[in-house]
Amino acid sequence: MPVEFPPPELRAACEEIVARYPVRSAAALPILHLAQRHYDNWISPEVEAGVARYLGVGDAHVRGLLTFYAMYNHRPAGRHEVWVCRTLTCWLRGAAALKAAALARTGCARAGEPSADGRFLVKDMECLGLCELAPAVFVDGTPHTHVTPEALARLLDACE
Amino acid sequence: MAPRPPAPAALTPETRVLSRNFGVAGSWTLAVARERGAYASLEKALGSMRPDEVVEEVKKSRLRGRGGAGFPTGVKWGFVPKDSPKPKYIVVNADESEPGTFKDRYLMELDPHLLLEGALIAAYAVGASKVWIYIRGEYPLCIERVEGAIREARAAGILGDRVLGHAFSCDADVHPGAGAYICGEETGLLESLEGKRGHPRIKPPFPAVEGAFGCPTVINNVETLMHVPWIVAHGGEAFARQGLPPDPANPRSLGSAGTKLMGVSGAVRTPGLWEFEFGITLRELVYGYGGGPLEGRAIKAVIPGGLSMPVLTEAELDVRMGFDELQKAGSGLGTACAIVMDDTCDMVDACENIAHFFADESCGQCTPCREGCHWMEKIFRRIRSGAGTPADLDLLEGLFVNIEGRTICALADAAVWPLRSIVRKFRGEFLRRMRPQPAPGAAAVAGGR
Repeated sequence: MPVEFPPPELRAACEEIVARYPVRSAAALPILHLAQRHYDNWISPEVEAGVARYLGVGDAHVRGLLTFYAMYNHRPAGRHEVWVCRTLTCWLRGAAALKAAALARTGCARAGEPSADGRFLVKDMECLGLCELAPAVFVDGTPHTHVTPEALARLLDACE
Repeated sequence: MAPRPPAPAALTPETRVLSRNFGVAGSWTLAVARERGAYASLEKALGSMRPDEVVEEVKKSRLRGRGGAGFPTGVKWGFVPKDSPKPKYIVVNADESEPGTFKDRYLMELDPHLLLEGALIAAYAVGASKVWIYIRGEYPLCIERVEGAIREARAAGILGDRVLGHAFSCDADVHPGAGAYICGEETGLLESLEGKRGHPRIKPPFPAVEGAFGCPTVINNVETLMHVPWIVAHGGEAFARQGLPPDPANPRSLGSAGTKLMGVSGAVRTPGLWEFEFGITLRELVYGYGGGPLEGRAIKAVIPGGLSMPVLTEAELDVRMGFDELQKAGSGLGTACAIVMDDTCDMVDACENIAHFFADESCGQCTPCREGCHWMEKIFRRIRSGAGTPADLDLLEGLFVNIEGRTICALADAAVWPLRSIVRKFRGEFLRRMRPQPAPGAAAVAGGR
């Protein structure tokens, strides 16, 4: 069953976004960002269907977006999302050790899978554009730079 | 160790075009931006120039696109049909996802009003009524600053009906990306702006004729548009006098006019971003500004502009940072943000890292790219594991020719260029990782003993 989308608390924001575009379905990306923030950091099949109805597109179109774009989660995600940049500059400056530290500290078996306790999701991300400050990670949308494995462990320990 | 050359001076705060407000407190707010002259060029264009005169100045400036491809900006604007009954759009490509590149992040965080001013002048020049600023989702502060600038500009009558009181109306909105390198490709970006997967389109039709929502559209990089207010203020000829002139021996040469943000990241002491006139050498950039190699190390190779360009070895760094000059050297200016690798960097490992990026980011439309990038990654992984053979290098060469130039967009070419150049220039590193090969006939001799 699709959820009723948008929920009352998102209605005004969604209407404002849709009004920017000459075509309703064009609002998909910003609407999905809003929805993911609202619904526990992931887009369930029910939310997906609700968003699809709201935008006037098929469920499969929305699923196609969720699987194409790296920032959307179409499976349950952890409460805290950790992005580790893996691309060349960060890799040259020690990103592999950061990823190992992130997995070890969060208890995630691998990147892309949430930890068993549902606290964390670690994602391999391609270049985050913080190259002059490498290596870089994001924790819950906030960038951190010149990160060491020890500093990352402290950041993760501070997450609830 | 190579001698460290004396670095030519970076531009001063007075001579900078793009970064003149960097370091000024609150530079992203309208109040500070206006105090420092923001929107004076827009006022000049709207008040005293016809749209075609603006296009003409930009053509005279020889401004070339700063997103990587270097297409002449004025020529691109000139492609927009004047008689189309459809609305026209300016789309700002702020999907800065080219690895190693972070220049547009600085520009949007520190001077979003200069971006709006450039985009509005472009809109006036081609008759556009709306500006879309497509910012990658991984740049939350850029999104916040540009959206803030849009709100301020609307409230001040700079955006919306009758811009600055003139008979010209134009609005702007930010469209956030969601994590996909391919959306930096201009037609992939348009698909994404329309709420679809970022699958690049077959051209023609070109965006100038049929772009966003089927309407005539100019797509320009952030840095490109931020040069425009200076060109309007000082004239195209003054801009063209900066930088490198066209090569007189080559009638097709466009030169590299104006200034450019250039960056260095990777294995150097002082990674960063600076504004220069075109013409400093890659060696001066990497050693003089990037600070040279880390303690006890030596620089081995540099990719001069993002990840998607052929690599240059340490011995090849005396090339000037310019479109034609780097092309002649067998590489390309790209985004002019260099990635430096040193003698601790294993080139086989680096190739696996690079191939993974392109395999991960291929949109999947074209078979040579969708399959080929994964095959390349697999071969590098095999070599890395020690199970490779010299025949794998031939296999790679075969893949390179079957991937490059055989796809809708340039992502596949961008995958081949760095990888092929590394495999050719550092072949010995690959051979050393391979299983020891018996000499021809050696097995039989051994068996006979």
